[in-house]
Amino acid sequence: MLLFPAVVVVSSCGLDNYDAPESTIYGRVVYNGEPVGVRGTGEAVQLQLYQDGYELRNPIPVYVGQDGTFEAKVFDGEYKLVTRDNNGPWVNDRDTTVINLSGTTNVDVEVTPFYTLSNVQLSLSGNSANASFQINEVAGGRDIEYVMILVGKTSFVDDVSYTARLDINGVTAGNTVTGALDLTNNADFNSGRALFARVGLRPAGKDQAIYSQVVKLR
Amino acid sequence: MKKSSIFKVLLLAGGLSCFSSCSEFLEREPDEILTDDQVFSDAVMIESVLANFYGRVTWSQHIGDWIQYTVLDEAGKSDGGPDNIQNYSNEQWRVYDYTLIRNINQFLQSLRATTVITDIEKQVYEGEVRFLRAWTYFNMARGLGGMPIVGDEVFDYESGMDITTLQYPRSTEAGIYDYIIEECEAVSAMLDDVKTVNSARANKWAALMLKARAAIYAGSLANYNNKMNSPIRTAGGEVGIPAERANGYYEQALATAQDIINNSPYELQLNKPDDLERNFYEALSVKDNNTEVIWARDYRYPGQTVGFTTQNIPGSHAEDIDRAAAGPILNLVEDFEYVNDRDGSIHIRDNQGNYVFYDDPADAFANKDARLGGSVITPNAIFKGTPVVLQAGQKVWTNGAWQTITGQPGERDSQGRLITSSNGPNRSNEQYINKTGFFFRKFLDEAAGASTRGRNSEMWFPRFRFAEAVLIAAEAAMELGQQSVAVGYINQVRERAGIQPLTSVTLDDIVQERRVEFAFEDHRYWDLKRFRLAHIVWNGVVNSPTAQQWALFPYLVVAPGTPNDGKYVFDRLTFSNSLHPRFFELRNYYNFIDLAWQNANPKIVLNPFQ
Repeated sequence: MLLFPAVVVVSSCGLDNYDAPESTIYGRVVYNGEPVGVRGTGEAVQLQLYQDGYELRNPIPVYVGQDGTFEAKVFDGEYKLVTRDNNGPWVNDRDTTVINLSGTTNVDVEVTPFYTLSNVQLSLSGNSANASFQINEVAGGRDIEYVMILVGKTSFVDDVSYTARLDINGVTAGNTVTGALDLTNNADFNSGRALFARVGLRPAGKDQAIYSQVVKLR
Repeated sequence: MKKSSIFKVLLLAGGLSCFSSCSEFLEREPDEILTDDQVFSDAVMIESVLANFYGRVTWSQHIGDWIQYTVLDEAGKSDGGPDNIQNYSNEQWRVYDYTLIRNINQFLQSLRATTVITDIEKQVYEGEVRFLRAWTYFNMARGLGGMPIVGDEVFDYESGMDITTLQYPRSTEAGIYDYIIEECEAVSAMLDDVKTVNSARANKWAALMLKARAAIYAGSLANYNNKMNSPIRTAGGEVGIPAERANGYYEQALATAQDIINNSPYELQLNKPDDLERNFYEALSVKDNNTEVIWARDYRYPGQTVGFTTQNIPGSHAEDIDRAAAGPILNLVEDFEYVNDRDGSIHIRDNQGNYVFYDDPADAFANKDARLGGSVITPNAIFKGTPVVLQAGQKVWTNGAWQTITGQPGERDSQGRLITSSNGPNRSNEQYINKTGFFFRKFLDEAAGASTRGRNSEMWFPRFRFAEAVLIAAEAAMELGQQSVAVGYINQVRERAGIQPLTSVTLDDIVQERRVEFAFEDHRYWDLKRFRLAHIVWNGVVNSPTAQQWALFPYLVVAPGTPNDGKYVFDRLTFSNSLHPRFFELRNYYNFIDLAWQNANPKIVLNPFQ
């Protein structure tokens, strides 16, 4: 009586389980060959992976990291990769990238940001984090809601994960923006721990900001 | 051993009788599953099915689920550790109840065929269930946008049939509001126009209230969505109402609200003009002689009671171990205006940044909008005849600076002066201690025993009340450019609150008035969504005055030999049990479609940002 259920379990294990997928898609979200910095926490920026030929058509969500890279472990086969509707600091474009996966594939997803940030200088001097960067209009056609200077205590820095933040309004493209974020009363600054920083720009009416890459301040 | 032999006989007898009764075991009629014919041949049974529907239509924020009050900017969670809310779920308060809609349609089908009740009774029942169906669609629409409208259809599936005939596409967002408005219009003619007992059942005026609310929602969605930098839409209009439809909806809302204001048996309740705080509390939270509430989720002992009072009563007034699960936050308290000052900030520091000293903590809330006292228990306010003491600690003047001393709840110093009140507030993870500095008053039941686990409360939860008709009229008139009409209506509500009248009305005034009038009544979230203000108010910025939750802690001043000794001061602090600011993102304006729904029905298109 005791043996009987045990036998059933053992035999069904062998039949039911597939091997885990071993093939990997490595990718980047790029503009002009440069990865686009985004918010990497909270599953904020996602791509969607579809595979045709099955009854159900639910996409597999692919989470984009803050440096614009992504990675998905799936089975070999033909996939279609699209950006998520209206998600990300770029022009909404849902063109498909076809991926033929066999083993490992590298893929670049081209997007057109509204604005990019260049010549980003971030430094710590005295009690403030100083930033200077240039705003370049790419697709344009939208106001800039604000730019922000963000300091975090971990290497994940974005508009949700930060310890200090300075928003600057009324900036326009083509200019160099400078700002100093006062850290005098910041506990993480005063504790002498490591600090990381990046700058971001929120195009009006978009759900996400575009960011520079994270740098370590100290 | 005579005893045991008696038992044997009894056992034997029991066994025998059991065997004999088993003979028809498999032929019994089930007494818990009733057929359609059995239900619809009995008037009492029909009514109990209707009662079942009334019990299934309470969603999102309500007194049966106190924690939902803490997710916005109205109250904070105090029943243990922090809430850790960083953003809103894609399924926040999502309603998708086609089971209920199917049950209602089955009911309608059988009701129309039955002969055990009169045609007049049938008409009222039909009106009520169609109203509940419209209410269900409304709750779906405000979260999801347009959804499939199935009419009176009851679907039956037999194997082999073409399943695509059962798959309905989503309606447009305008279409679902139009449907709700038409249904409410139709059923308002079928229902009685007299008040119902405890406002528990829908009458003509409840139907018209839903019509007015649906119209004002649709109007503001058409208006404000299209004023966004990039309006939120789908290609097929399942989300997004064309801007040119706004005025039509506003006109419908105004006309319907005015019908209710002018012709219904309800009014802005003013039974106690000498005590406006008490008056406002009674208009919302006392059922006897109520002239304000049009439709409510009613509760009644025994069987149907609600735990809101048990869970949230101040510790000093608790009758059971439960208490202080949540408390209103400073964000809400400061949004109540002063009688003659529209800036409701509590005066805790003077222009030089020094403390303002109060003889009594209650003095800091003097001359406020009467609705504050009717909605929130502020420090030292009276509840059930005795003051609710809220004191976080002492401010001791030592060596030219203020030192903050806090103690265990209820602890006193060597002179016998209170350090920290047994009610709190404090900044800990302790259960049963307030952490915001305020308690709920609205919907807090004063009846004896109402805060015990065994009994709980009979408090109702109003869904529609007269003041909403007045504020819908004010909003619609304002949007239609009828300033004098709008001013007239909004000032009726403000006059009852005892605050200065306005001379003109803007959208900000409407948002502000609804915020304080309808606190804890499940309006705030939907209002900020339809005005497309949610992502601005809850912007996710740390220490933002609107997105961060704030608390107000009262302290006793200990400065012997100075005139301020024994007075009270306040500190404004971030609310310790909500670590992150509220962050409403653009994707939160519409719930996500569950992909399983789309798999079952490929005609369902996804929502924006999904």
